[in-house]
Amino acid sequence: MVRLQESFIFVDLEAQDSDEVIAALAGSLFEAGSVAEGYGKAAIERERIHATGLPTRPFPIAFPHADSEGVHQSALAVAIHKTPVVFRNMADPDEELAVELVIMLANKSPEEQIETLRSLAELFGDPDKLSELRYLKREAKIVEWLKRELAL
Amino acid sequence: MSKLIVVACGAGINTSTIAEDLIRERMEGEGLDVEVKRVLIADIDKYIGRMDLVVCMMKIYREFDVPQLKGMPFLIGTKAEKQVLLDEIVELIKD
Repeated sequence: MVRLQESFIFVDLEAQDSDEVIAALAGSLFEAGSVAEGYGKAAIERERIHATGLPTRPFPIAFPHADSEGVHQSALAVAIHKTPVVFRNMADPDEELAVELVIMLANKSPEEQIETLRSLAELFGDPDKLSELRYLKREAKIVEWLKRELAL
Repeated sequence: MSKLIVVACGAGINTSTIAEDLIRERMEGEGLDVEVKRVLIADIDKYIGRMDLVVCMMKIYREFDVPQLKGMPFLIGTKAEKQVLLDEIVELIKD
């Protein structure tokens, strides 16, 4: 079971850098009790060593996360940026990507959530779907759309 | 002894799980006796000599004596691109 609710969705988020985005997303998960307080810090540190930016089409996204340690309950949080934020490319950390959409997955156990992960990979590989999500603009709509598309 | 496909990743639990699962499902569908294993790049030396194919989820600056494929399409490729990559894996592992 992956938790997703309106308080985990950030529309037109204004952030200086990837640290701020990750902190905002993890903060919302912490407030709802889904992760421990240190989850955001762990995800920020992990992002420095193992970047999670992806050169998806039509715009790049990022997929920050930390280890399952500190995850009380699996959850998804989403940020749509007012202006793009730089994340480094997972496959090639020397490359910077102007990321418009961030999906943070707090994963209690990856094996248990393989279906969610697969649905996410289908979403990442579908430019039309990513555009649709990008321009939904309202938190409630985004929650509803993601629950349907990811079969949460 | 069954063949071994290693999915090499920097650290990712999430991303490499997607690739591992898609590959394993296809191998089962083909009726091939293949083990699929997620391995940290730092630990890959343990599998040299034992592995038959490496799928890399990130750029790695090494070469092995077995075929090496880029696994990123499993994460961000279209359905068709995922299919092409799975077809390629089947061809390579059958050899």
